[in-house]
Amino acid sequence: MSAIIEMDHLTHRFADGTVGLDGVTLEIEAGAFVVIAGANGSGKTTLLRHLNGLLLPTSGSVRVAGVCVQENPMKSRVLVGMVFQDADSQIVGETVRDDVAFGPENLRLDRVEIDRRVGEALSATGLIHLADKRPHLLSGGEKRRLAIAGILAMRPRVIVFDEPFANLDYPGVRQVLDQILQQHRAGCTIIVTTHDLEKVLAHADRLIFMREGRIEGDGPPPALIARAESFGVRHPRAVHLGVEALSWLN
Amino acid sequence: MAELTAFAYQPGVSILHRLDVRMKLALVAAASLISLRLDFPGIGLMALPLLSVAAGCRRSLRIQAGELRWIGLLLAFVFSARVLSTDGTTVLSVLALDITGEGLREGALVCLRLSLVFLVGTLLMATTRSTEIKTGVQWFLQPLPLVPAERVGTMLGLLVRFIPVIFEEVSRASDAQRARAVENRRNPLRRAVKLGIPIMSRVFERSDRLALAMEARCYSERRTQPSLRAALKDWVLFGLSCGWLVVLLAV
Repeated sequence: MSAIIEMDHLTHRFADGTVGLDGVTLEIEAGAFVVIAGANGSGKTTLLRHLNGLLLPTSGSVRVAGVCVQENPMKSRVLVGMVFQDADSQIVGETVRDDVAFGPENLRLDRVEIDRRVGEALSATGLIHLADKRPHLLSGGEKRRLAIAGILAMRPRVIVFDEPFANLDYPGVRQVLDQILQQHRAGCTIIVTTHDLEKVLAHADRLIFMREGRIEGDGPPPALIARAESFGVRHPRAVHLGVEALSWLN
Repeated sequence: MAELTAFAYQPGVSILHRLDVRMKLALVAAASLISLRLDFPGIGLMALPLLSVAAGCRRSLRIQAGELRWIGLLLAFVFSARVLSTDGTTVLSVLALDITGEGLREGALVCLRLSLVFLVGTLLMATTRSTEIKTGVQWFLQPLPLVPAERVGTMLGLLVRFIPVIFEEVSRASDAQRARAVENRRNPLRRAVKLGIPIMSRVFERSDRLALAMEARCYSERRTQPSLRAALKDWVLFGLSCGWLVVLLAV
């Protein structure tokens, strides 16, 4: 398969001089399921925000499906859907339906197409019965699913999840994980950042460790997982038990 | 986070929810201006149907009154200023300050008028999506030369969207400070400063995050707008409301 994401010597320096990313070179194949792990401040979120032009590189380049993000950030935002860590601050609409329609409205689609996409996204995420509710009244898991529905309605080819399981209870984690896997099966490229590998590692086909803005480990999860704690990430329980990582959906 | 504020849109199918947004905006502007000219009987006549409409929108008056306590503080300030600055027959003297009958009447009148304006405004916001308000404002501004209608509409729509966010942050910061016994501090100025700084900081942080999320979903001034369509029943309701406002003016 061809690479859908190409980063070439990507460096990002913040206004105060802090180096967020330090010469990251990375290719991600279309349809891959990649987990990026690392301690707080390792550069995971900064990396993700370069994929849709929310942050622009100080040097180096990012291409998504051949589109240069610096030159065409709007196009990259259609290609790359981002589910933020804090679902509350991602809610824009006054009802669940309005929130999902927000992206397609920004793409200036006609109303019939918007309604069709909203219906499909709500059905796919199991929120259709809540369509006319106020989003702020949803549970944590439902809010995260709403954020996913809002992204699905824009039909992205890549979906990035920034700490998707943060602040969720067990049923919430299962709901969100199920949604992530559904989108992967549907052909989307999935990138998940986390410092809690336990919940997602069983499904990943590539694991990347970051530290101080650099990629310091990259490969299949079984080959790398033993080094997790050296990157400030807790070993999944399976490692201690000497068995394969288990899915939270089983 | 399940915070309900008087300024947040509440989904529903009431008559006000379904009324064309342009007519709603015109009625809100007219009702607000007219309410500033009304005397006590007129205020009563205006308040009754508004309160019934509010009840029809399933808005609990008790909860709404609680949420508007901050505006109550403003009204108390306005009332005191009027009472102390209006000449007339003294009915009470406190610490060398004369309180006049005319001052009490004027203060009550001004506060009731402002309350009507707040009621009309909250009814608009509770029954109208911010995108509809944006579209309606744009429609009114479009014919005006040199006015960037889309930009003004977008700014107004965003402002309306952010008001509940600000109230949520005020409520959170206030709860966090009460949990640490802020009531023990008697100096109201110090309390206001201690509350104000974290609120400002949190509101800006929250606004930044929301703006980032909107940007990630391709937000721009030019987007698919809600369709504006005035049906016969909209015109009937609009006509009746205009007639009622004219009657109020006559009263």
